[in-house]
Amino acid sequence: MFKLDRKLVTITGVALVGVTLALSSTFAVAGSIDGAASIYKSKSGAIDGGVIYPRVKGTYTAYKYNEQSTKGVNFGRTPTANELKAWDIDALPDGTGLPEGEGSVELGDELFEAQCAVCHGDFGGGGQGYPQLAGGNQDKDKNGIIITLKNQRVYGSVDAPKRTVGTYWPVATTLFTYIRDSMPYAHPKSLTNNEVYAITAYILAQNGLSVDGEDMDDDEFVLNKEKLAKVVLPNRNGFYPNIDDPNAQEDIRAFFADRAKNIGAGIRCMKDCKDPGGKDGKTPAAVMKIKYEMKDVVPPYAYAKDLPPKKEVGLQHPGKEAYEVNCVVCHKTDAMGAPAVGDKQAWEATLTQGIDKVYENSIKGKGGMPPKGGTSLSDDKIKEIVDYMIEASK
Amino acid sequence: MAKKMKIKAKEKDGVVTVKAMFTSLMADTEQALKNKVEVEYIAHVIGKVNDKVVYEATTSGFMSENPLMKFSFTGAKKGDTLEFTLTDNHGKTQTGSKKIK
Repeated sequence: MFKLDRKLVTITGVALVGVTLALSSTFAVAGSIDGAASIYKSKSGAIDGGVIYPRVKGTYTAYKYNEQSTKGVNFGRTPTANELKAWDIDALPDGTGLPEGEGSVELGDELFEAQCAVCHGDFGGGGQGYPQLAGGNQDKDKNGIIITLKNQRVYGSVDAPKRTVGTYWPVATTLFTYIRDSMPYAHPKSLTNNEVYAITAYILAQNGLSVDGEDMDDDEFVLNKEKLAKVVLPNRNGFYPNIDDPNAQEDIRAFFADRAKNIGAGIRCMKDCKDPGGKDGKTPAAVMKIKYEMKDVVPPYAYAKDLPPKKEVGLQHPGKEAYEVNCVVCHKTDAMGAPAVGDKQAWEATLTQGIDKVYENSIKGKGGMPPKGGTSLSDDKIKEIVDYMIEASK
Repeated sequence: MAKKMKIKAKEKDGVVTVKAMFTSLMADTEQALKNKVEVEYIAHVIGKVNDKVVYEATTSGFMSENPLMKFSFTGAKKGDTLEFTLTDNHGKTQTGSKKIK
């Protein structure tokens, strides 16, 4: 409903006119239906029938753009140089903005074990729901595990890629700023710049990285501003579009302009879809078909919706059920000295003493037969059972 | 098992505490089939100080990927070298060492 409301905003004019006229004119009803149908049509550039609102230079948003004038609205004042300085603390990938300082892997090891390992695991191996910092598969080993995260999802493999500093992060300077500003979790900003350099060095070392051919996984290695700026992480080029280029804005615009190719847009293909290999025009476009279609199953599907047939219980002797629960143990055969059900002669002999006597014996017990057969059934029920037994033995 | 071992050994009051992490997918037959890799796992770990065995374990796919081992022992001093030898299921060995701090 929310979505419907939002879409209607865009055609307020059309819809209102349509609805107003609808009361008196069938023509207007048809018009409003046309209007409603058109807004659900996929607009070019929108994904899966979504609505887009154009802004400037081919950009757009998913929400209505506020075109109100901002004249006279006060946005505050220009920040002072010092305010800007306090706010502008990030470090760029080329090292701009990194503070002076240095720290060794050895010191980082100590600090990491004391302050970081409790969540991030020994050697940054991860644990307890906190991010894993090292590990994952950075380089292709002979088992065919491939270099960066982008290619880690090997077809058929069940394990998700591991997003660590070595496999996923594009830029090492982020590691420094992130640790400085946000870590340790319990008391952030408690580390000195040198300590942050040390921990950064240690984490990079655990990822088996090197700078200028110098292996970082060595206690003596000391990381400083210059070296950190030179660290190239394995997944540096694993992201697209490229947002670090001087032409980044144009690149991104071009990337999103061709949505059909780069993201997929318009109406989703549901039949005879080409695989992505066909799109560059070189590899043949394979038509995806169901390879093994399931036509029938054994046993076949049951489509009947009726309940299973009820058993005819009315024809059963009322004493039968109770007999089978309470009496069958002794009366099934004559092994216990009791007249067996089905033994015609035995029951004829029993019945010579009269039916009342038989009832009495069954209720009060006789010889090996306990009163009421050891049950707590009512007298009438016992008589019913006796009737059934006599009936069944005729 | 191509990568460097991660070993940490510290001595305090005569007790050496060791943490070591080895790089291996630890893929036994079942795991290897699932992940489309070759069967390869560390089958045996032996840790020595001054040619004296301080740690020994027979392992297989029951251990997780990149297994972490922690143990402590006495009888070594700072500066001694702790040496690990790993043998994988194909009989290939790898060694790595670290000075006890």
